[in-house]
Amino acid sequence: MSASTFSRTVSVSGMLAWRALILVRRMPAVFIPSLVMPLFILVATSGAFHGISAVPIGTSSYLAFTLPFATIMGAGFAGINAGMTLARDIEGGFVDRLISSPAPRMSLVAGPFTAAAMRSLFTTTVVMLAAWIGQLPPPGLLGTIGIYVMAASFAMATACWSMGVALRARTVQAAPMMQLVVFILVFTSVAYAPRDLQTGWLRTVSDWNPVTRILEFSRTAEFQTMTWAGLWAAIASIAVLMAVFGSFALYGLSRLGND
Amino acid sequence: MTDAIVVEGLVREFKGGILAVDGIDLHVRAGEVYGFLGPNGAGKSTTVRMLTTLLRPTGGRATVAGFDVVHDAASVRRAIGVALQDAAIDPFMTGRELLRLQAVLHAIPRQEGHARAEELLERVGLTDAADRRVGTYSGGMRRRLDLALALVHEPVVLFLDEPTTGLDPTSRVALWEEVRRLNRESGTTVFLTTQYLEEADQLAGRVGIIDGGKIVAEGTPTELKTSVGDPTLMITPADPSRVGDTAEVLAQFGPAADGKPGAVAVRLAAGAEGIVQVVRALDEADIATAAIDLHQPTLDDVFVIKTGHRLEGDASAAPGSGRRRGRGSKVGR
Amino acid sequence: MNPAIRQTVALARRSINSTFRFPQAWFPSLFFPLVLMAIFTASFGRSVSFIPGFPHVDGFLSFAVTGAIVQGVLISAVGAGAFFAGDIEGGFFDRLASSPASRSAILVSRLCASVVLAAGQATFFLLIAVIFGATVQGGVVGALIVIVLAALLAIPIGGLGVLLALRTGSAEAVQGMFPLFFALMFFSSTFFPRETMTGWFKIVADINPISHLVEGMRVQVIHGVDWQAAGTSLAIILVLGVLTVGGSAINLRRRLEGDS
Repeated sequence: MSASTFSRTVSVSGMLAWRALILVRRMPAVFIPSLVMPLFILVATSGAFHGISAVPIGTSSYLAFTLPFATIMGAGFAGINAGMTLARDIEGGFVDRLISSPAPRMSLVAGPFTAAAMRSLFTTTVVMLAAWIGQLPPPGLLGTIGIYVMAASFAMATACWSMGVALRARTVQAAPMMQLVVFILVFTSVAYAPRDLQTGWLRTVSDWNPVTRILEFSRTAEFQTMTWAGLWAAIASIAVLMAVFGSFALYGLSRLGND
Repeated sequence: MTDAIVVEGLVREFKGGILAVDGIDLHVRAGEVYGFLGPNGAGKSTTVRMLTTLLRPTGGRATVAGFDVVHDAASVRRAIGVALQDAAIDPFMTGRELLRLQAVLHAIPRQEGHARAEELLERVGLTDAADRRVGTYSGGMRRRLDLALALVHEPVVLFLDEPTTGLDPTSRVALWEEVRRLNRESGTTVFLTTQYLEEADQLAGRVGIIDGGKIVAEGTPTELKTSVGDPTLMITPADPSRVGDTAEVLAQFGPAADGKPGAVAVRLAAGAEGIVQVVRALDEADIATAAIDLHQPTLDDVFVIKTGHRLEGDASAAPGSGRRRGRGSKVGR
Repeated sequence: MNPAIRQTVALARRSINSTFRFPQAWFPSLFFPLVLMAIFTASFGRSVSFIPGFPHVDGFLSFAVTGAIVQGVLISAVGAGAFFAGDIEGGFFDRLASSPASRSAILVSRLCASVVLAAGQATFFLLIAVIFGATVQGGVVGALIVIVLAALLAIPIGGLGVLLALRTGSAEAVQGMFPLFFALMFFSSTFFPRETMTGWFKIVADINPISHLVEGMRVQVIHGVDWQAAGTSLAIILVLGVLTVGGSAINLRRRLEGDS
């Protein structure tokens, strides 16, 4: 990619990201669920399973244990939104207009991708504030950064997955497919209990699930017990997700308009 | 019973004071095909919903097959067959299942209902597709099934609400044929709404034109056409320099009308029969003609004159309608 | 046979058949409760005996199965409401309304179909739980009580779905209500016992009728046959049923008269 193509991709992507964020404000029906759901998870999970606080889960507060689950789910929703925006644009013909223009194709996915990361910052902030109101003090500067970075990374990975689905299905009807995979990924990691408490099939699945390491590192950030080993494991997991979902999205992009 | 449908001063007002139907009167004779013509939002469907007991009138009264649509709705429902807009069909059922279900809804005994279903499938040509889910049917097949469903209990009055909207021309003609056959063979009264002039012209014995919730014209297609004015005759002389002479000859047969350049048009006061005198007079004046065009008023002209605007949605009616319309605008203003 | 009964049976059969032919209608009601049940069981199974106040159970699965059943009935009833709304949108409802079919058959058939589906669903969930090691302390009678209560629960919840369908006439709007019901379930003892909750959350769960409904079913599985608890569940179902079915009957009448 030459320098000028690169700068053009950046500027068009920036505009598309801006558009995706603007659409959020203009279509609250799409945005509100992605804001309410993580809050709901935070309140309902920590309330319903409060009893788990009595067993060794690394903290005495199930609210603290649940917070990273809520921020990661919020990030997942931000990523799904990217795919839904793209699917709607494909249905509405906006994408056709864009690919028939000289704008670099890459900006088509780079825009929503960036918007997803930015949106996750917002949902994470809302969850952190809600937890603060629920008497959970913020986890210091480093811990807070850790939580934000994990959320943004997961938002980017799920944005790639959702956009890949959108580029293939080319209809908003595919939204359940985007959601299902993200939900299953998060729910079969360490969403409700740490790995040493899990039993049977879930233990096996969560050992292999890349989201496990992301969620675990996010938890150590919340508990302020981060380790380098945990960070590397999380980075490696993010790399795996990005490689798989990213190539899925890019392959879909390359096929666009060819068939 | 000579009137299958009697409507007197029927009104339907919706919330916010919108008068969808604003005091209409109708008489549809038994055995007749009545075409109810009007653009989208004119009040056609609201009228049909009231006549089929789906919507309560807010004023006036209506009887169908002799029963009041409000006070004796149950008897009305037993007497009518209804095929509403968009072929309302559960896509997950097969054609045969839907027909059998419809028979149960009309309390037809089981054996008889099954036999009737087979007979109707055969009649509308869906026997081969009877066990396929309706979701897989084409638009034309759905409409034919919809028609069959409306006929399960051999209704006295059949309501067809825009039966061919969205159909391709071939399916449309096939459905028209089926409606004609039904009317001819079983004497079923048909109340048909449509936004296609051609459809009303082809099928209906009498036509009512509704616009803005009011009936603006009613009669047989011929009556309506004659009522709006005389036919237009356009003569193109073989020698273009004789246009003036031609105009002079034609002036005695009626007032001049707009014609193409190089041609002369006149509204024939004597009607279409007057063409013989015109040809004779031209002969006597020794004017050779290159073309003689006679244009009879169409329902389109009727519509334009009675409502002051064109029928929207008619653009897709038939390939020929555009041409007809172009010339029709000359008539009777 | 009386035509009204024949019509009800035929329409109920149509509802059941159409549900089975449309995977989106039944898949979520089986998939989500079972997956959540499996995940919760694998997450909490080892911990429950250490949690103060957690009722004595032989495994978390035995505790979780009734919650999963109620959740499944809820999802399928919302789906049934959406289906009914689809009938209104698509015009099938008008076909019924313009036919001489019994007016009550339209509502009763929909509820009957939901009852049959809920009974099947509850039986299936109990079987799955038993296969994976749960025990029903109440034995066959306890299992039957759970199945009957689940089937009856389909009436108020199905009635609510129909009520929403009649009021909105939009399948999407009915489906959109689902998160609300899901939230109501979380703020109850559907997934975890009230005894382990604290603060305002416990107060909400205490007054949430879903808590008492689920507990009345659950005790049959984790403890043994308890007619009094079953009676409590039944009473809740009855009260909710009168409200929602009555409401939908009124709205059905209004729609049939064309005043909506």
